[in-house]
Amino acid sequence: MKKALITGVTGQDGAYLAELLLKKGYEVHGVKRRSSLFNTDRIDHLYQDPHVSDRRFILHHGDMTDSSSLVRIIQKIQPDEIYNLAAQSHVAVSFEEPEYTANSDALGALRILEAIRILGLEKKTRFYQASTSELYGLVQEIPQKETTPFYPRSPYAVAKLYAYWITVNYREAYGMYACNGILFNHESPIRGETFVTRKITRALARISLGLQDCLYLGNLDAKRDWGHAKDYVEMQWLMLQQEQPEDFVIATGVQYSVRDFVSAAAKEIGMEIEWRGSGIDEQGYWKNSPDSRTSPIVAVDPRYFRPSEVETLLGDPTKAKEKLGWVPKISFSELVSEMVREDLKSAKRDELVKSHGFAIYNFNE
Amino acid sequence: MKNGIKRALITGISGQDGSYLARYLLGNGYEVFGASRDAQAASFTNLSKLGIRDKVKTVSMSLNDFRSVLQALVQIKPTEIYNLAAQSSVSLSFEQPVETMESITIGTLNLLEAMRFLGMPIRFYNAGSSECFGDTGGEPANEATPFRPKSPYAVAKSAAFWEVVNYRDAYDLFACSGILFNHESPLRQKRFVTIKIVNAAYRIAQGSGERLKLGNLDIQRDWGWAEEYVEAMWLMLQKEVPDDYIVATGETHTLKDFVSEVFLNFGLNWEDYVDFDQDLIRPNELLVSKADPIKAYHDLGWQAKYRMKDVARMMTEVIRDDWMNVR
Repeated sequence: MKKALITGVTGQDGAYLAELLLKKGYEVHGVKRRSSLFNTDRIDHLYQDPHVSDRRFILHHGDMTDSSSLVRIIQKIQPDEIYNLAAQSHVAVSFEEPEYTANSDALGALRILEAIRILGLEKKTRFYQASTSELYGLVQEIPQKETTPFYPRSPYAVAKLYAYWITVNYREAYGMYACNGILFNHESPIRGETFVTRKITRALARISLGLQDCLYLGNLDAKRDWGHAKDYVEMQWLMLQQEQPEDFVIATGVQYSVRDFVSAAAKEIGMEIEWRGSGIDEQGYWKNSPDSRTSPIVAVDPRYFRPSEVETLLGDPTKAKEKLGWVPKISFSELVSEMVREDLKSAKRDELVKSHGFAIYNFNE
Repeated sequence: MKNGIKRALITGISGQDGSYLARYLLGNGYEVFGASRDAQAASFTNLSKLGIRDKVKTVSMSLNDFRSVLQALVQIKPTEIYNLAAQSSVSLSFEQPVETMESITIGTLNLLEAMRFLGMPIRFYNAGSSECFGDTGGEPANEATPFRPKSPYAVAKSAAFWEVVNYRDAYDLFACSGILFNHESPLRQKRFVTIKIVNAAYRIAQGSGERLKLGNLDIQRDWGWAEEYVEAMWLMLQKEVPDDYIVATGETHTLKDFVSEVFLNFGLNWEDYVDFDQDLIRPNELLVSKADPIKAYHDLGWQAKYRMKDVARMMTEVIRDDWMNVR
């Protein structure tokens, strides 16, 4: 039985990947950070009680900023594959916590590579590094492919740039099977609530039920290439099943603006949005609202602007198509529809709770 | 310069570039502060060699400790910072990758963050490296050439370069990187190959009878003279607008040519004294390093006067004198 270790197993990709690998018959190990609060809700459905025999899903306490914890976990498991998905993954937060971002995202990747090297597992353990389209930042060509030069625009992207190149370096210097997946934005109903797509679907669902008044966003013109995380984790796995380790761009090849995403999500709920004004005064009005409201339901808040913005990202997944047989199965509209559907469910749950006199919270950032 | 105050803080003051830069800035009327992890324990031999040990004010600062960086900046109130501190050996970076990353990438980040936090109008120079380019396939690298780092050292330097670009874009800091190609001097640390060659050739010329062991002699580098490179650093910070510049001679030579030139200066034929040593081959050796320094010439009016042959000659001359003085 193959053994896989996933860092960042409690995140969106970690959860989907764990599910996929379990389905493929792997014994799956995950690293989770110590927290006083439960932080495993995305993988609770996979959880197996430690007293169950023949467990195939096992969590370990560890931290990307703690070398010895990583060495110990890897030594114990002797994994065939390591997927390094752990990161401080929020671009805006990286401007506020640049050192932590560098420590966990850049040094974190190096610590795993070093652990493999220290334990003499260079020939056994295959390594996947979660790289990102944010590396392209101020894009040097459109669309972006594996050969497009990087121009990172945030401490997050700079940290990921370090991780990208150190992965390439360990592949070349020590002959390790190590790959970068340069994944463009990939979303799902379990995307973190502070990321823009989830923020949108969650807010619109709540607005439609009268639980929230207005959705505040940053740059509405930002264009992204959005796919579904479930499709993308399959490519992560495939990258480690090749003859030779290589880096791949994973993207849909289609882009939409944040504004497009809002309109598409609203349409799923039957809300028609009319955009008025421009720049920071741009607002979205709910044209067919049941209460014929006159106040906007979408507005721009400059606090969500980044000190340096990434305006447009569009991937060219030709290489992945040719070598990995990459065809995204889930379309943009199916993605939006699924996200809205799930967020409507939880909004309805909140509505129910509220109607029985219990407090509910918006949890806006 | 505002109020006429010219106060520079140099990190990595003990190194070759730090010492030459300190002397250059002192000559330009600067008050010069040199930072070292432990200023009391450091010997600052290079500053002494240049006769400026008592003119440079040394301070203790650990680049990995945000408090110590902040404190140093508040106390010194520099108008210019030159960040030259780094774990600077490519081969050592394969053995100490974390320390290399922390000293270079996190160190630079702490300086940028401290400048952002304090909001003082400091001009910032960051030491980039030609190692970031990796092999350019024989094409000369210019400022627009994408990076292709091939060692943990070069990866760390690449990340630091982009931090500087990002903080310049995001916060309007006056921050520049100089992408310096190889630059040598007698102040180079002994482990660097040029110094190793010059020292060995000198001893052989004195009849030591030893053999010199070298790795790949076919690697090609652009070798310049460190003393004049520090002027380019200073020039970058005197511009209206911050930008990044390549600093190089524009000439590339093989290590074999350099070795031959050095031995020739001692009247020797290198082939009689040099052995190939497999152990000295790096895991991921960079073969050809080639530069196009035209932007520095156009925008800074800077051009290298000394080329590889001058560098080889000047290093042999100085080392010969140095050894005579010691005796």
